[in-house]
Amino acid sequence: MSILEYNGGAVVAMKGKNCVAIASDKRFGIQAQTLSVNFEKVFEISPHLYVGLPGLATDTQTVYQRLKFRQNLYELKEGRSMSPKAFCAMLANMLYEKRFGPYFVEPVVAALDKNNEPFIVAMDLLGCMTTPDDFVVNGTCSRQLYGMCEVLWEPNLEPDDLFETISQALVNACDRDAVSGWGAVVYIIEKDKVTIKHVKTRMD
Amino acid sequence: MILANTESNSSLKSHNTRFNPYDDNGGSIVAIGGDDFVVIASDTRLSTGFSIYSRNQSKLFKLSKKSILGSSGCWCDTLTLTRLLNARMQMYLHEHNKEMNTPALAQMLSTMLYYKRFFPYYVSNILAGIESDGSGWIYSYDPIGNVEKCKFRAGGSSGVLLQPLLDNQIMLSNLQNIDEQPLSLEKAIKIIQDVFTSAAERDIYTGDEIRIMSITADCFKEEKIQMRKD
Amino acid sequence: MNFYNSVNFPINFNNHQDISESSDIIKHFHTPITTATSVLGIAFNNGVIISADILGSYGSLARFKNFSRILQANKNTLLGVGGDIADFQYLKELIQGKMIGEECLEDDIPLKPASLLCWLTRVMYNRRSKIDPLWNNILVAGIQDGKPYLGFIDKLGTAVEDKLIATGYGAYIAIPLLRDALEKKPDLNKQEAEELMKKCMEILYYRDARSFNKYELAILTTEGTEFKGPIEIKANWSISNDVCGYE
Repeated sequence: MSILEYNGGAVVAMKGKNCVAIASDKRFGIQAQTLSVNFEKVFEISPHLYVGLPGLATDTQTVYQRLKFRQNLYELKEGRSMSPKAFCAMLANMLYEKRFGPYFVEPVVAALDKNNEPFIVAMDLLGCMTTPDDFVVNGTCSRQLYGMCEVLWEPNLEPDDLFETISQALVNACDRDAVSGWGAVVYIIEKDKVTIKHVKTRMD
Repeated sequence: MILANTESNSSLKSHNTRFNPYDDNGGSIVAIGGDDFVVIASDTRLSTGFSIYSRNQSKLFKLSKKSILGSSGCWCDTLTLTRLLNARMQMYLHEHNKEMNTPALAQMLSTMLYYKRFFPYYVSNILAGIESDGSGWIYSYDPIGNVEKCKFRAGGSSGVLLQPLLDNQIMLSNLQNIDEQPLSLEKAIKIIQDVFTSAAERDIYTGDEIRIMSITADCFKEEKIQMRKD
Repeated sequence: MNFYNSVNFPINFNNHQDISESSDIIKHFHTPITTATSVLGIAFNNGVIISADILGSYGSLARFKNFSRILQANKNTLLGVGGDIADFQYLKELIQGKMIGEECLEDDIPLKPASLLCWLTRVMYNRRSKIDPLWNNILVAGIQDGKPYLGFIDKLGTAVEDKLIATGYGAYIAIPLLRDALEKKPDLNKQEAEELMKKCMEILYYRDARSFNKYELAILTTEGTEFKGPIEIKANWSISNDVCGYE
């Protein structure tokens, strides 16, 4: 078994029309044993910038703390907030520093950039980035998510439709993965608001 | 000296690779059963590693007037298994003077797979058939003969990608306030087309062409749909 | 069964030892010793053409330089074999035995190529099931019910039928050329197929280090079989001076 599948969990992000969404499941477990159902893997970095860190739970927390630390230093030094692009470069760099003893997380970033354009990125655990213009998935049920997203996603979804699409994709994918699910949380990021919705799912 | 010795030893060991009697030739199967029909589809790509053996190899086997088997995985095992199945169905026909019905066939397939429990056929089988009351059912198998009777199933290299979609689109799982209508054959074929197109986007072992076979009370139909070939 | 294996780092939670690596288990299986490289086949409008070079390699040594590996099984079937030569010679005996058996029936019904292919898949599959495979790729070419027929079997017993088949390095080097030619003109005639085959054999000779400059061609049409060869490739290496890093 891969370490990436030790705790389970998945994250997906999608582009919409002037909005972007990121969602994760809430399970935390050790292999087949579920220990908690409120372990969120998506974190707010700044009002329009969110990062999801599925993978080994200890690394999820460590990487988030180190990201926050580096971001604080950046903001103190530069006196301005971090752009999504700069944040991703920093994250990728941080992961690649540990090239031969990596953090076992596969990050997903979702943001609105300074022109309020949707921005999504997925990385592998070494920091190799990909920036497609539809959706990104990572985590233990990434294959199920690919199947769901490939059919459900369409261009220029409005915030409400984007919420429905990403929730259906995540929830149905998690239902076919033994180590993901047990509740989900969805963030819809728009220019002037961020909507956080907790989705009820099967708890088995 | 000692170091050099251990090194040569270990390189000798790693050189010793065992012959692998299995191959993964890819391919996907999707089957849906309705109240009065059954439909099963496969792609036509046969591959090994990063090369393609054939762009024109259906993985569907019409076993009787009322049942079709989809079989993908290790192609040499598929060939062997289907030949054995055909032979045993022939024996049944000669002995009982009638074709084997779907539940009997489903049980026989399970037994045949389990017979090779410790050197399994490395295949994912999906059997689609019409039962005595005219309804369509799907039997899906693991490589060693575990069988489950259900209404829809995706299997093969894209099985994992497609199964949650079928849950959502056919079982209407995680959907609220939608009145469930009986699934028509046309709708089932439409879903199959959609899911294969999306599988071909993400799975290198699925592509080229979709072959769809459907059985209703009065007719058997076969059709082809082109898919991406890269 | 996991086709998209996520990154597996060599840290194992169930820290058990793989028994297949343990040294006190005696393993018996063989690897090919003297080998032959690619075999190519094309089905054209009224027949089939197959070709293979005549080299038997012992590792990197060009050991046997006049070794024919195209057989005529019966009047409507040709076989081209690549892989281990010892296994090929065993297989040849087996096939000839089968053919004698067929002739002894005296029913004037020759074995069709598809039937021979089917029989050969059983031979190969049974050996792989004993974990003692015949290390060969077999190309079966012939006329089946008046139509060109081309099939292929590997050492596992995997069988494929197609209009174009190439084994070994041919699968990587010749197949793109053959598919390209067939896409431009789907219905080749005998001359065109022969030209195409010769071109592929030449290109394979340039790039496959285990190939040879002499090869055989066999063409089977409804009129009968034609064996050609050994044909010598007149290689032109003048371009090699312009290839960066060659000198």
